[in-house]
Amino acid sequence: MQQKKMAAPCRRMASRSLLQFLSSFSRTAVGNTATRPFSSTSVCRAALQTKDATDRATSSWTLMAAVCLQRLPVITADYSPIEERFQQLLHQMEQEKSLLSDHEIKLLEDAERMSRKQADDYDSDEEDDHGDQDIVLAQDLEDSWEQKLKSFQPAPRVRADVDKELTSPERCLANSLLLLAEQEVGGQKLWLLPQTQWQQGETLRQTAERALASLPAGFKATFLGNAPCGVYKYKLPKAARTESSVGIKVFFFKAVLSDGGPPAAPNPSLLWLKKSELQRYLKPAYMMKVEPFILEL
Amino acid sequence: MSVALSRCLCRVLSRQTAPSSFLLGEHHHAVRSPWFAPVMTLKTSAPLRAEPKKKKKVDPRREQLARERLRKKLKRLEKVPPEFIPIEDFITPAKCLDETRERSAPKLSFEESERRAMMLKEWCRYKQDQHMAEMEAVELALEAQREALEELKLESEELYQAALKPDPLLFPFTHEGPTHTPPITQYEAPDGKYTDITKVYTQ
Repeated sequence: MQQKKMAAPCRRMASRSLLQFLSSFSRTAVGNTATRPFSSTSVCRAALQTKDATDRATSSWTLMAAVCLQRLPVITADYSPIEERFQQLLHQMEQEKSLLSDHEIKLLEDAERMSRKQADDYDSDEEDDHGDQDIVLAQDLEDSWEQKLKSFQPAPRVRADVDKELTSPERCLANSLLLLAEQEVGGQKLWLLPQTQWQQGETLRQTAERALASLPAGFKATFLGNAPCGVYKYKLPKAARTESSVGIKVFFFKAVLSDGGPPAAPNPSLLWLKKSELQRYLKPAYMMKVEPFILEL
Repeated sequence: MSVALSRCLCRVLSRQTAPSSFLLGEHHHAVRSPWFAPVMTLKTSAPLRAEPKKKKKVDPRREQLARERLRKKLKRLEKVPPEFIPIEDFITPAKCLDETRERSAPKLSFEESERRAMMLKEWCRYKQDQHMAEMEAVELALEAQREALEELKLESEELYQAALKPDPLLFPFTHEGPTHTPPITQYEAPDGKYTDITKVYTQ
């Protein structure tokens, strides 16, 4: 009863005076010593809960949650020039240090036997060990293996036409892509990570999941943990400010696109971008806050 | 002497048989069993002929003890610690020590060896830069998360506590890593046949 009467700024003073009143009351109370501690703790707990409620009511920031959905790379990245050179050097060095393998020994023996056969003074009776092995030479085996490899056609690593389509999640398979959506914020249409407002009674992660579900294309994602990975806060222009909201705080949650989802129809309002392409679409202040937690490792 | 003895025995037995026949009143008229035959005749019957075996009670026990001792010795001999299973990777196969397999080591020119040394140093520097960049990126990401949690704490305590809780459904988390070529849609891989020749050791 007394708490409701007190105004917000002096609630701390009020709670102190309340406690003093209670302690004086407990000191003068005769008889019920058992109920004394019970009553004071219940009143303290009630005070904390109402303090939280009053905090939220008096806090001037609107909370929103956004989802940072990443499609991880599907193929290995190309080698940089120095990596290429070093790979060749390592291969050369390892070959020099190695021993001859069975296959290589067979090749050498076969070559030797061929040269002996073609010599003028060739005596086939001397060849008593390898009578049957004349049929299949090691070189022939190698050729047959190469033929088999050529008959298999792997999918092409780089497809230039798909790479140009910004709305397709199959572009740039060697990089990790980020999902951007065009949403209306404060009367303006902006490109940003899909976000939605927080509602009472849910955690911020659930808000982020709702934001992902609200997109037209049904994406299956795994959210990485309950904690946000970044925050972006901005104050509304003075015209739009109300008593309850001076500004907006957007909390970002990381999610990884999982396979097995249905191939979504390309939607013009959704873009899949590499980290280097984000600069063109995001506002500079927003980009500064979003950049650190997008790892291009 | 023996006749006198037998006569005494006869008298004793006759005195004894009288009351015994009186006891076995019913069977008095029955045929006399060989056990109650008068000793005067001194019939030699089968039990009387054989030598009674002198069964010493100690003998079976002695045999049993001997058997137990043998068994204990066997157990002690069998208590050999189990042989260790050899680690195949640590044993150099005899094929590798064959001298005929060695390649002729090419002689490197001065320029070639210099080029290799410079290449190794360049690689070392490249890898160090890469590592430092990775560490920095991770630091920035952690800083961003710390800031986010701070802001959340200023907002509301219960949302902050909910954010700090670990997610039990996240693990085990699996993701297929990047391959050299992208997967071919609706590809049926041919069945591969193989014979497993791994050696299985039992202890």
